[in-house]
Amino acid sequence: MFIQVLLSGIALGSIYGLVALGFAVVFKATDVFNFAQGMFVAFGAYFAVTTINLLGLPFPLAVAAIIAASAALGVVIHIVLIQPLSGRPMLSVIMLTIALSIVMRAVIEILYGVQSRTLSTPMPTGIFLVGDVRISQLHLVAAGVSWLCMAAFGAFFKFTSIGLLMRATADGHEAALVSGVNVKVMNRLAWAIGAGLAAIGGLFLGQLQIVSPELEHIGLLALPAVVIGGMQSIPGAIIGGLLVGLIEQLSATYISPKSSDILVYVLLLAILMVRPWGLFGQRELGRV
Amino acid sequence: MTATVLRSGALRAAAPSPWRWLWLALAAAVLLYLPILLTERQIFGFRLSNMMLLNIGLSQVNLMLITMLGALSLNYLTGSAGLISIGHAAFYAVGAMTAAITGSQWGWPFPLVLIAAGLGGALAGLLAGLPSLRVRGLYFVLSTFAVHYLVVFAFMEYQFKFFDVVGVPYKNATLGSWTLSTPMRWYFFLLPLVIFIYWLLRNSLRTREGRAMQAMRDHELAATANGIDVRFLRLKAFAFSSAIAAMGGALYAYYLSNVTSEFFGIQFAIQFIAMIIIGGMGSLPGAVVGAAVWLLLPSIITGLTAQAGDTTGLLRSVLVDHKPQLVQAIFGMLVIVLLIFAPWGIAGMATRLKARLTAWWSRS
Amino acid sequence: MSHALELRDLSVRYARKGFALDGVNLTIPKGGVVALLGANGAGKTTMIRAISGLLPLHNGQITGGSIAMDGQSILGLPSHKLVRMGMGQVPEGRLVFKQLTVEENLRVGAAVLPKSTEKERMDAVYELFPRLQERRSQAAGWLSGGEQQMLALGRALVTRPRLLLVDELSLGLAPLIVRAIYKQLKLVGETLGASILVVEQNARLALDFATTAYVLERGRITLSGSAQDVANSDLVRESYLGVAKEGGAA
Repeated sequence: MFIQVLLSGIALGSIYGLVALGFAVVFKATDVFNFAQGMFVAFGAYFAVTTINLLGLPFPLAVAAIIAASAALGVVIHIVLIQPLSGRPMLSVIMLTIALSIVMRAVIEILYGVQSRTLSTPMPTGIFLVGDVRISQLHLVAAGVSWLCMAAFGAFFKFTSIGLLMRATADGHEAALVSGVNVKVMNRLAWAIGAGLAAIGGLFLGQLQIVSPELEHIGLLALPAVVIGGMQSIPGAIIGGLLVGLIEQLSATYISPKSSDILVYVLLLAILMVRPWGLFGQRELGRV
Repeated sequence: MTATVLRSGALRAAAPSPWRWLWLALAAAVLLYLPILLTERQIFGFRLSNMMLLNIGLSQVNLMLITMLGALSLNYLTGSAGLISIGHAAFYAVGAMTAAITGSQWGWPFPLVLIAAGLGGALAGLLAGLPSLRVRGLYFVLSTFAVHYLVVFAFMEYQFKFFDVVGVPYKNATLGSWTLSTPMRWYFFLLPLVIFIYWLLRNSLRTREGRAMQAMRDHELAATANGIDVRFLRLKAFAFSSAIAAMGGALYAYYLSNVTSEFFGIQFAIQFIAMIIIGGMGSLPGAVVGAAVWLLLPSIITGLTAQAGDTTGLLRSVLVDHKPQLVQAIFGMLVIVLLIFAPWGIAGMATRLKARLTAWWSRS
Repeated sequence: MSHALELRDLSVRYARKGFALDGVNLTIPKGGVVALLGANGAGKTTMIRAISGLLPLHNGQITGGSIAMDGQSILGLPSHKLVRMGMGQVPEGRLVFKQLTVEENLRVGAAVLPKSTEKERMDAVYELFPRLQERRSQAAGWLSGGEQQMLALGRALVTRPRLLLVDELSLGLAPLIVRAIYKQLKLVGETLGASILVVEQNARLALDFATTAYVLERGRITLSGSAQDVANSDLVRESYLGVAKEGGAA
């Protein structure tokens, strides 16, 4: 059933690509390697549980609320935690995001308990049968929505003036300041996008798997995705996500379910040793 | 960082003063009496409540000592080689695994098991440090992240192949005919060990190589121009630090007498990072402080929240039902606050305070 | 009548490098062109950063004095506000957006303008620098040094600034190209009625171009006056124009 595994790998990979995209946007714009991105994914799933299952909001409203709440969280975190550390060495900021993920995980466990929950949404969960191949409808929806979001973001980035300003800020911080760009606002926007995209990923992953604090580790797979694809490259992040999804599914099926993540980390190590700037990144002296 | 080098110098200069000997004697007295105090919960016949003893028991102190080895080795790595390893707990796993193979499977005596664990750790450290020859900074940190997952996976595979889901069991730790069967005995074994390791690491930082590594840590070009190949020195430091951590892992395993792969997850690894940030990165005293805070925090919080017996709702959930999470949340926030306002950690603050007081004293 | 720019007793220090400017006084009259000369490390770029709000980015801060644009204090205002108030900057090293096209670079500069005027302003810049029009869809990173300089200048000019700060225009460029760019700059300045501050290591060029000049040495102004007077001073002749001392071996 190779095709089936391939398809679920692509579906999962699309979600990872979305989360990786959010991660790459934040990294390109603010130079922050956000280890808490995994928790943003988990937060998205838990927001979903709250709005859809606990509060019973109509689905479209719930989705809007999830995205808005996550985006707001991203902005708040940038203002309160990231901005004060601007100008500090990158490793300090990384450790800040690690500490942040500790706090976020504790908060979730306090509010929702440690046991896992199921997320039930109006999204279709049936199966399509195409010949011998069974295609999960949820996978299809997840992949479709992820690609839609990525395309929408791409269009926003390339064709709108705010997108242009964000690209300029990522290209050169000082150059943007000099040209009159409100870099502070651009940075906050980047964090809002990063968190928002992670939340959408969390919504799907929460339903495809189960809603628990362990979602953090699944969300964290976006990190190797971004590094493998190339940290400075937005298309690289997306392709990295697809690759991770495929590797995960293939190794889970053909090797063993426990080993699904290991090959990803092996690949990560290999890339770091051989081509640290990633498959699609550009060699940048001084980053290392 | 300069704080470390300065600190070593300051201590050396202060050695002959009579105050120093008094402090050392006092510290020795406290350290020797502590286990008795914690076991009998009374001092000179005066009963001490749990609150007064900050809810600490001797077994927690022992755990702190074992964890301190990890913090010390990590800060040694950071302070000397300028490398940050997120997956430091992986070496604990290596140590535990080596101990399981040599101790539980092959039946080696405890001291040999420890040495084997150290060697295993050194080897693992050598391998894990190889990326440092190629990349630094963020990329290196990521490689330690990947290595951590790989090692824990290896441990998990080992656990399920040779044992079962319950975990990997360990025999009693015996030194000759003396078995470490009580917390008191563990304490008197661990304390001199940790002090010895501290002394070892501190001296390593003071050797010509150690000083060279520290001074050249951020000025790679200068180091290579001077003919010292800093890269291999760094690898050596990594191997050394991993060896110590692995011993810590073996001790951890024997102390708990049963461990599973979950014990060494990324959550545990992150604790070490948090410890050294709180204590002060790159400084050995900082590692001690960090491990102590890690020990004290849960107890203090338990003590404080004991007052909250009658609360309900969210407050109850926070204060009573989810203590470990509350501890983690506060731990994380402490790290964040320190990173923003005092990135040199608690030990760093003490050093600055001391410097300021000395300056004030010499002026007046 | 207020000046285009007035620095009074300005002092700046960096977090790790110590003091950079010490009690500096400088005025740019309305419509005037002022040259700021000095060796490397004298503090010229620091002054530009202090004026345009870029000090925090470089861990610097103003420790005393005042800066006023058209009589209004601009101390502590963020860069993007200053651009909207009519300040334009052509920074040292050009700082073009390498991965954006020429056209996109200009659009970023024009982002502070109302949408209706954007096209005409950009066309004006293309008229000024036809070379940029030829290369409008090329990524800025592929342009030659001279073209990048034109782009940086065009990006600043697209907003029709009242005050233009130009930092080390000549660095890394052939003299012929630099002269051509300065000529355009002069033209534009007169047309717009803009006041210009030019920071230059190439003293001769700057003094030809400017009406008044200041010499900055180790954070302090050591000489100021009309461009002619400054050019004829012994200090400048020896240190910056390379003219040998009288009576010594050449």
